Amino acid sequence: METRPLTAYIARRLAGAIPLLLLISLISYGLMGLAPGGPTAILSQQARSLTPAARHAYEVALGLDKPWYVQYFYWLKELIVHGSLGNSFVDQRPVLARIAEKLPITVELLSLALLLTLVIAIPIGIRAAVKRDSFFDNASTAIALIGYGVPVFWLGILLIDVFAMHLRWLPGSGINSVGREGDPLDLLRHLILPAFTLAIVSVAGWLRYQRASMLDVLDEPYVQTARSKGLPERVVLYRHALRNALLPMITLLGLQLPGLVGGAYFVEYIFSIPGMGYLGINSIFQRDYPTVMGITMLSALMVILGNLLADVLYGAADPRIRYD
Amino acid sequence: MRFAQRYFRRPASLLGVAIVSLIAAVAILGPMVVPYSPIAISHVLLGAPQPPSLAHPLGTDILGRDELARAMVGARISLTVGIAAMIIAIVVGTLYGAIAGAAGGVADAVLMRIVDALLSFPTFFLVIAVEALTNKFALGIIILVIGLLSWMGVARLVRAEVLSLRERAFVAAAQALGASPERVLLRHLIPNSLAPVIVAASFAVGDNILTEAGLSFLGLGVQIPTPSWGNMLQDALLPAVRSAWWLVATPGVLIVLTLFGFTLIGDGLSYALGSSSTRR
Repeated sequence: METRPLTAYIARRLAGAIPLLLLISLISYGLMGLAPGGPTAILSQQARSLTPAARHAYEVALGLDKPWYVQYFYWLKELIVHGSLGNSFVDQRPVLARIAEKLPITVELLSLALLLTLVIAIPIGIRAAVKRDSFFDNASTAIALIGYGVPVFWLGILLIDVFAMHLRWLPGSGINSVGREGDPLDLLRHLILPAFTLAIVSVAGWLRYQRASMLDVLDEPYVQTARSKGLPERVVLYRHALRNALLPMITLLGLQLPGLVGGAYFVEYIFSIPGMGYLGINSIFQRDYPTVMGITMLSALMVILGNLLADVLYGAADPRIRYD
Repeated sequence: MRFAQRYFRRPASLLGVAIVSLIAAVAILGPMVVPYSPIAISHVLLGAPQPPSLAHPLGTDILGRDELARAMVGARISLTVGIAAMIIAIVVGTLYGAIAGAAGGVADAVLMRIVDALLSFPTFFLVIAVEALTNKFALGIIILVIGLLSWMGVARLVRAEVLSLRERAFVAAAQALGASPERVLLRHLIPNSLAPVIVAASFAVGDNILTEAGLSFLGLGVQIPTPSWGNMLQDALLPAVRSAWWLVATPGVLIVLTLFGFTLIGDGLSYALGSSSTRR
């Protein structure tokens, strides 16, 4: 694979993402303008003492006295000219800084969850395909079919009840024990239950996909050739078949990213993990429009980059793929 | 009928129909049979949730309301949202995909780019949309938002089918006989591309139920006091009732069971129709 077409391809895809991000931001902004109450209604509920005049002054200060499309224009101008997503309504700090400090924990949680998913799903999927129609295959399919319907928030509650509250093996909320802030082992202990929650729900999809992909490959002529050469079955399966069966999984990686991020909102909410998802949900409740917009844009960017990454990695793994 | 035979040959498909029929029967008939209100607060049991008993087979919640009565109304909400949003997504997706596939060329390219764009909308967007549009209990809005944000997959399926059908002889024959483009689309292309759509519809009901439960769990979907499986689970997290396991178990088991039913039906339909579309 030559480098130049790939660079051009990535550049073209990224350029194509700009109108898309603009569209998403415009619609999101317009929708928020429709929300009942608005930021100052929430603020005055908290303050109780805000006079109509004070409230109006506050709205003027935040630019909320203007129609939503004027606000949107200012928001966009600020983003393009200064690269800024504005300041939070809640604590007046820059949105970018607020998100940046929450992002690492979410990335750590998602990475751990993804790792667990792959470690569980890929071997089971392959074994199910190799031992097609065996008890193992049928049992794993049945479990996967049930697994699709397990709500991530319910599973999180169950794991907290069993492993944190009843057995007391692992912590069920937060990211640090008191006095152990910044201790990576303590952080890992806190992330085990939330990561398993996310992993268990995504295993079903990965497992079925891996099984189907392996079954496809096992029918290929080159697998038959390998067998007819007299190669041991182990070599046929793991050197010839498995490598090709893993290829489509790379695509799944990019496509599953939005679902994983979506699950993180629930898991962070249930396990009180101060990450991006937790911030996002709270910002919606607090009507903190700038922060909500920041998180929307970042989520959209992650979905777009996930899809691009899937396509690029797929091409890197399979030299037959051409970018044009 | 050959299709029914093929479908019911698999025990799993039969099980799917049995589960969904059971949930549907409970949703439709249950609230008429149970002697408790799903909403009225019992001052006798207020603040002291009761474990399952003969009088209350699934126990009572923090406000002394019968959990079974609430779960039954929750089943109504879940099935209504799941099926109604599915219908919206199927109608919009089928028409959109068929038009794109039949039109071809630039129109097709533009229409499918819009689908790509909508598929990039993050999950978070759905949450914002629902929060913005539902201030009071407005089931119709929830249905509309879920339906209008989930038709893109169907559009892709139908377009792919139409693209291949377009080249078939019976379509050329219809055109040669003077059928208008609308007639070709509605009478020939769409009916013949429905097999994968039917399968997708079954999975979509389950997905929609899960989405509604998630939104309601966050307090953004179905608003209290109307019970939904999602907001019942949220109620179960109140510190005062955190040890009442039946409040966690009931809505969760019902969601899993219902989704399992629809997944089995979708799988069975996929097999019986010989369609290649399966659960993602």
